[in-house]
Amino acid sequence: MGALTDKYCIVGVGETAFMKASGRTPLSMACEAVKRAMDDAGLGARDIDAITSFQIADSTDVANVAQALGIRMNYGSVAYSGGSTTEALVAHAIGLIEGGYCNTVAIFRAMNGRTGRRMGGQAPGGVVPPSRAEGDAQFYMPWGFTTPAQHFAPSAMRYLHDFGATTKSFAEVATAFRYHASLNPKALMRAPITIEDHQRSRWVAKPFRLLDCCLETDVASAFIVTSRERAYDLRQPPVFIMGGSARTYADNPAWNHSRQRTYIQAGHFARQRVWGMSGIGPQDIDVLSIYDAFTYTVIIQLEAYGFCGIGEAAEFVKGGRLRIDHDLPTNLSGGHLSEGYAHGVALVNEVVRQLRHRADDACPGWAEGRHSYDRAAGCRQVREARFGACLGWGTETRGSSLILRSLSA
Amino acid sequence: MPGPIDYSKINIIPDPDTVEWWEGTKRHKFLVRQCKNCGHKWFPPFPACAKCTSMDLSWFETAGKGVIHSYVVVTQPILAAFVPAVPYVVGLIELDDCHEPDGSLTRVAGVMIDDEDAVAIGLPAEVVFEPTGDPNFVMPRWKICGTAQNTWKFNE
Ligand SMILES: [Zn+2]
Repeated sequence: MGALTDKYCIVGVGETAFMKASGRTPLSMACEAVKRAMDDAGLGARDIDAITSFQIADSTDVANVAQALGIRMNYGSVAYSGGSTTEALVAHAIGLIEGGYCNTVAIFRAMNGRTGRRMGGQAPGGVVPPSRAEGDAQFYMPWGFTTPAQHFAPSAMRYLHDFGATTKSFAEVATAFRYHASLNPKALMRAPITIEDHQRSRWVAKPFRLLDCCLETDVASAFIVTSRERAYDLRQPPVFIMGGSARTYADNPAWNHSRQRTYIQAGHFARQRVWGMSGIGPQDIDVLSIYDAFTYTVIIQLEAYGFCGIGEAAEFVKGGRLRIDHDLPTNLSGGHLSEGYAHGVALVNEVVRQLRHRADDACPGWAEGRHSYDRAAGCRQVREARFGACLGWGTETRGSSLILRSLSA
Repeated sequence: MPGPIDYSKINIIPDPDTVEWWEGTKRHKFLVRQCKNCGHKWFPPFPACAKCTSMDLSWFETAGKGVIHSYVVVTQPILAAFVPAVPYVVGLIELDDCHEPDGSLTRVAGVMIDDEDAVAIGLPAEVVFEPTGDPNFVMPRWKICGTAQNTWKFNE
């Protein structure tokens, strides 16, 4: 067990709507998400004394959020960093509180991911004007090799080659998460899809089709970390942080393409630390979230953290294994593929809600933890959710994780 | 063949770590970085040796030949320069003369001259240097230059 296992908790979660065109500033959305997380926890502005966030020159500073909401910070900072930073900021928060630098940390990510700066350089409404190939972009932009889909595709292609897999395994991921989104009133895409729908969707960057790609989204989401002692008195059942990893890197972290096996994800290098610190293993996980920038990123993270062996996930996901009421319910919100792309924060929020037994679904009593488990009636609460894991992706060579447990576990 | 690439819509900004690499392409040389201390080779041209941390570096002129390790077929253009080019294949080429005894290797990326139908994992490919319309830049591309056993093609 880790020295700080179970000493810190996630006590509040919140987000804006998942939108295609917010018409709002990232600052306004960040304020709403943080405020909702505070309300959820029953905390006021004077109870929050730290705010952290991450962005890639597409969001707002924590000082603006603190100013707007009347929060005086003992600590505030913004990481210039992408996917998998969410779980790393939890590690920062724990260290800061443990060290006495602050007491209660709000973590947010706010972006107009569709109407503002889009991943890979695409402009709103289509292709970009003349682009500057500088820094590391000198060695991919002139080769038409810029978007996440384009960058991760060769690793996926090689995976299919090495293990004789097909994209039907990707379709299993897409259909499972869309089914979960059909049970999530917040999700952007809720109409169920079939394996055939996936296989018929248009190519984006082979071997990825449209339904392999997450949804560019305008959204802000936030959650709040504080100590166990403070957590007990708050509005919601606390969710305990057992362990995790904070942006672990693989070898060749800046040019994955020269690694021996490009599909061995960074989590592979963290797994012993993660499970050792947490004191549980993948077999104990009741609810899982995996950073699904693409269906394929789910496949190789399952392998990296030991849910199955390297090269086995394409088989592992078949037969609906990732669906609710099956072996390993994963991305119960619909994830980035169907709820909307919130850069990992919303994936944590869903696991927290599940571990509280308060998934915000169609059950009239969800806020008090009363669920029907009737999927046809829109219930998406897992029956017994004691242990949860959030796996964060920031390319094949960087990743984070967060292992959580419920109050009753 | 894929359509033409409109290089006028990409503004390449060499920096002190990379300017000699771009100069090399003008002389039709495909360079990789090499450590003067231990001989290690790598690409892209990061400014220190990952094996011994030396920053005393030279350039190694590869033969510009290798094997297709993997590829992506881009069907949806994102950059304006590539709108006329789709669909095009970006190949990852494992360079023949950059294998090292400890197993380390160097893979480079580039747009294939060939169509998707011709590209397969395992095929040999060689560099060709394409004018960009700007005398200051010549662009390396890759073309299949032979056959091989045990090739593999994505055919969904
Ligand atoms: Zn060296």
